[in-house]
Parts: sequence; C-alpha cells; structure tokens
Amino acid sequence: MSIKEHTQGYLFILPALLFLVVILGFPAVAAVLQSFNLMWVPDPSFSTKSYVRLLGDVEFRTSVLNTVIFVTSTVGMHLLIGLGVALLLNMEIKNKHFFRVVAILPWTVPDVIGGLIWRFMFDTLPGIVNAVLLKVGLVADPIDWLGNPALAFPCVIFAEVWRGYPYVMLILLAGLQAIPKELYEAAEIDGSSKFTSFFFITLPNLKFMIIIATILDIIWECRLFGMVYSMTGGGPGYSSQVLSLLTYKHYFIFFNSPYAGAIAVVLALIMLFISIPYLRMTMRQEL
Amino acid sequence: MKGKYHKLVMIIITLAFVTPLFGFSNAVAEITLTYSDWQLGQDIWGRSLREAMAEFERLNPGIKVKTEPVALGQRDVKFTTAIRGGKGPDVFALDANPVKQYIKNKWVKDLTPFIEKEGGKDWLSDFYPVTLMPVTEKDGIYGIPKNVVAMVLVYNSDLLNKSGISSPPKTWDDFRAVSKKLTMATKSGGPIDQWGATLVLAKACFDLRFSVVLRGFGGDFLTPDWKHSALNTPEAKQAFNFVVDSILKDKTMPPGVAQVDCNGARRLLAHKKVGMIFGTMWTITEVSGMNKDLHGWKVLEMAPVPQTSDAKSKIRSTLFQKSIFMNPNTKNPDAAWKLVKFLTEKKQMQKWFVDNNMLSCRQSVNEGFGPILQSKYAAVVTNEIANHAAFLPLIPQWPECLEAFRQNLQAAVAGSKTPEQALMDAHNQIESILSR
Repeated sequence: MSIKEHTQGYLFILPALLFLVVILGFPAVAAVLQSFNLMWVPDPSFSTKSYVRLLGDVEFRTSVLNTVIFVTSTVGMHLLIGLGVALLLNMEIKNKHFFRVVAILPWTVPDVIGGLIWRFMFDTLPGIVNAVLLKVGLVADPIDWLGNPALAFPCVIFAEVWRGYPYVMLILLAGLQAIPKELYEAAEIDGSSKFTSFFFITLPNLKFMIIIATILDIIWECRLFGMVYSMTGGGPGYSSQVLSLLTYKHYFIFFNSPYAGAIAVVLALIMLFISIPYLRMTMRQEL
Repeated sequence: MKGKYHKLVMIIITLAFVTPLFGFSNAVAEITLTYSDWQLGQDIWGRSLREAMAEFERLNPGIKVKTEPVALGQRDVKFTTAIRGGKGPDVFALDANPVKQYIKNKWVKDLTPFIEKEGGKDWLSDFYPVTLMPVTEKDGIYGIPKNVVAMVLVYNSDLLNKSGISSPPKTWDDFRAVSKKLTMATKSGGPIDQWGATLVLAKACFDLRFSVVLRGFGGDFLTPDWKHSALNTPEAKQAFNFVVDSILKDKTMPPGVAQVDCNGARRLLAHKKVGMIFGTMWTITEVSGMNKDLHGWKVLEMAPVPQTSDAKSKIRSTLFQKSIFMNPNTKNPDAAWKLVKFLTEKKQMQKWFVDNNMLSCRQSVNEGFGPILQSKYAAVVTNEIANHAAFLPLIPQWPECLEAFRQNLQAAVAGSKTPEQALMDAHNQIESILSR
C-alpha cells in the first residue's frame, strides 16, 4: 500500500473517529475527572473520597447485587426464549415472515415506554393483570405487584425479558440460517433424532453466535435504566435498584456528581471487563 | 442560453445567502427570552401562564417569550444539565426543595443588584419574610417568591356525611376512626372499593404530604438546626407506626398505596375511592378537573392537619413555595429581570389566584384581594401559612435525606423491615448523610 493510500484510509475514518471522541471519549474522560472531584464541581481539588465511600456504602453493594441478579436472570431468559423462538421461526411454516415481524415487536418498544406500560398493567387497583386474575378467580384480593419487594424485582425482570428477547433471537436466527441443511440431512440418514441433531449439530454451530449474543446482551442489560426507572424507580426500599439507577439518583436528584461519577466509572470498568472476551473473539475472527 | 441560465442560478444562490442577513439584522433588535416551568404542561395553569406571557409581550414590545414546558420529574435533570453546559432557559421556576443546591452550584443568578435598583428592602417588604428564606443565601437573593401554600387535610364532605361524620377529624385518633368508618364496600356483597384516606408514598410529592403526618404528631425529619436526624424521638416513632398500622393493620388505605404519587392520590379522591387526602389550594382545581361529576368545588372541603391531643408544637403543616429564577448564562439579564418582576408582581399574583386558586407570597395580595378574602379554602390555608407551617429543611443534603427516609418507610410498609428497624435505619442513614 502506498503512503497516499495509507493516508487516504485514515482520512476516511477521521470523521467517525472525531464523532467517537466527542460523543464517547469526552463524556468518559469527564466522568473520570468528576469522580476525582476535578471537573464541573463547585470547588475542584483531587480527592478519592468518592471511591472510599463506595467501599462502605450498603446501598451501592445492594445495587451491585441487584444488577448481578437482574443481568443473570434477563440474559439467561433471553437466551432460552430467544433460542426457542429462533428455532420455531427457522422452520418452514406458512406466513413465517409475519410471525418474524410479530416476534420482533417487543424490541421496538423503547424501554421507558415499555416500563410505563407494564407499570400500568401491574398496577394494584386498575391494572389488567390483577383484573384478569380476579376475574378467573385465581386470587381473592388484588396483588400489590410493584409495592411488594419480593414481587417488584421479578416483575421488572419479566418486563425486560419480554422486551429484550427479540435482540438475542435475531442474532441466533441469523446463526441458524447459516447452518448448512446438508448436515441435518446427513444426520437423519445416519439415524439421528431431532433431539440429538439439536445437541450435536445446532448448538456447536451456534456456539460463536451464542457467545456474541450473550456478551452483547450482558453489556446492554448492565446499563439498562429506563425500564427500572419507569416501573419501580428502584423501590420499594432498594429492592429493585440497579447501578445505573443509583448513578442517576446521585447525579440528578442528590447532586452528588463526584460520587455519581465514581459509580459510573465502576460500572464502566465492569462492562469493559465483560467485553474483553467479545473483543478478543472478533479480533481473532478478523485475523 | 446556457450562459444566461448559469448567471441566473448564480444570482439566485447569491440572494439565498445574502437575504437571511437582512432578516438576521432585523431579528437582532428583538430579544427572545425562554421561560421554563413544569406548570406550562398542565391544562389550566399552562393556559394561565401563556396568557401572562402574551400580556408581558404586549407591555414589552421588542421582547418575545418562548415557553418551554418541562415535566416536574425531569425538571432538575433538564435544567442542571443545560445550565452546566452553558445553556438553559433564561427564566425558570423552582419549588423550594432544590434551591439551595442550585445556589451552591451557581446554577441561579444573584438578583441582589436588580433588587437594589428597584429599591432594595422597600421593594421586598411586601413579601412574607418567611418566603424569602428559601431564595436567600449569605445576603444574596437568588430568586423572587411567587406562590406559597400550606398543606392541609382535603376531604369529600359528601362521603363523610353519608357515613354519619359531621366534621373532619381534629386529632389522629379521630382520623383513624373516620378512616375506618369510610372504608367499606359501596356495593352490597362486593369487595371493599372505598377507603378512608390515602397517603403519597411514591417519590413524586412524597415530602409535602408525609411531612404533615410527622409534624402533626409533633415530630419532624430533622432537628430545628437541620444538623441532626429527629427520627429517634417518641413523636416520630408514633407517626411512623401510625402510618404503617393504618396500611397494614387497619387497611384503611387502598392496596398499592406504596405506588401512589400525588396525581394518584388526587385521582382516588376525584373518583370517590378515598374520603381524605393531604393537599392544598391546587388540589381543589386539579381534583375537580379530573372528574366533573364530583362537583369538587361544592363537596371538597379543607381542614387543618390533625394533631395529637397533647401537641406541644405549633407547627403541623409544611409550606410549598414556587419562586422565579434567572439563569446565570442568560445573554439578556435586563430583559430577563423584567420578566421575573412581571411574573411576581401584584396583578399577576391576583390573576394566579383567579385562574388557579393559588395564594401569593405578597402580603398585600393575600390580605387585600377580594376573591382571596372570600374564599373558604384560602381562609384555612392562610391561617396555616401564618401560624402553623414551616418549610422542609433548606439544606443541600435534603433530597438524599428524604430518599433515605422514604425507602425505609416503603420497606416497613412492604413488611421487609419492622417499623422499628426501618425508622432506626432511616435515622442512622440520615445522620451519616448529614455528617459528610
């Protein structure tokens, strides 16, 4: 490659690089500086007080635990449901394109809107969930879904599973369609059952896509905010509070910007750690 | 021909670039201010504010006002982000809660020089002294008070009369008894669909409504110097247990009360699901608007917040105040000051009462305007403002203290903590926040 071609390449990616620096780089640097009380604070001076406070903050530890539970549950369910629906949509059925569109619809709902819809549905008095349960006689009194700490978080997880599974489904469906049909035909000839074909052909061929979908979904769910905020606001108590919501509260409600910055930095480091396998896999693929 | 066509295109392009410059130079002479307020998004208040802006523009040719509604829950997010970024509305409204934070972070302009030009202390003398507290810091005045009200008991007199209750409760024992009487199934053989009262336990507007219960029992969130938690007093424990028992034992509040916010409470009152809520002047307007069949202006009445029979403290209610502020980034401070003055002048305060049933921070308006003097609601609320109400703590840490309390109260109501544990945790968390 000549020097001119080399320079041309950099010139082509320059706008995208500048965009990334402004949109991603600057806020990231600003958050780190703010967490050390150096930027956008009334009296800037270097301080690690926010990080020290994190270590002893019960609310922070609760939020970390809730985030782990939230991510594990939603990603797990997304994989199960996503794979199941992808397998169904991969079959040769009439009007399969219509069913594919219907299956994607929950993902088109913004997370805040989805949260509001589910909040109304789970509302104790006028909510449709209680109305149906009362009508069919499954319960005698309305259930306080979002006011009961034991139920509020599962309701949020349920709503996010509903909204987020199409993302994983689409990735796995693409993977399923790339598996050569000849493999299944050969297996059938050799006497393999559908069950065996699934475990020895489908899953191994989907391994890479499953890993990609899992890692991307984990990153997505780690930073999810809108659904939790609009459904429960982190309550009752701190039972459904996740790290992203805790960051928001400290920044915009308590105006503790250095502490909010520290929480955001910790969350970013966790997500960076999770994304390392994804980056290594994609770089290996390109090589 | 081609050459002529080429010339024509060049002329058009040149005109297209040059013409806006003429328009721009005309626009320079006119100032555009932005005014942002959460009440712009509400039907009745929004209309009243827009009428006021039209009147301001008529009186000040050369100044245009662009209104920007903002949702109450997103107000501080939007304002603080914009002001931090050097932008934001020129003039905006805030309640008393976050003002100290705004002043501490220099997100509001010091209006003292403008006030000095108007006459200084003389100009301020018409405002109730207590209303200047939230907007004053170290001899600087950062906002001009507009409306002030106190929280009271708002009840449906029809529902009370039907249950054989002729007068509103004066003590908390009465309140409990009345709540029990009002809690019933309105249809024979049906489930309970009417409850005595509801509180607001969701985040939106929790502070104003819950604080009156604490204060009605003679307690408070913080000590009078705002340096320590006061939740370890017997009065605070009584109030806390009263609320938890009302919800869990008496069941005189609707199920799902932990999710009820201020609009939810108004809706329950509007649709006769509850007989009593804690509210103030705007409650009548809002609730009546929610259900025309209620005939709210006829059936809704107000009474002072109940107190314990041996109450020592005069303070039983909480003040709400809306004030007008100027953005430190404004490019037109003089024009912005004209708007601030206009929105808080006597005539606009009178309009605000006529349109929205809101009392003024100006003594001459509350004590001299005919419609206010004739209002049965104003009589109750002005007495509370003058004698029985105080602001919530005006300290930067207040939002965090309040949230710590609310979360623990919700845990007690949900049963995940005992009331004693929840109150002690709230007390300890608030002490920790205040000692930072």
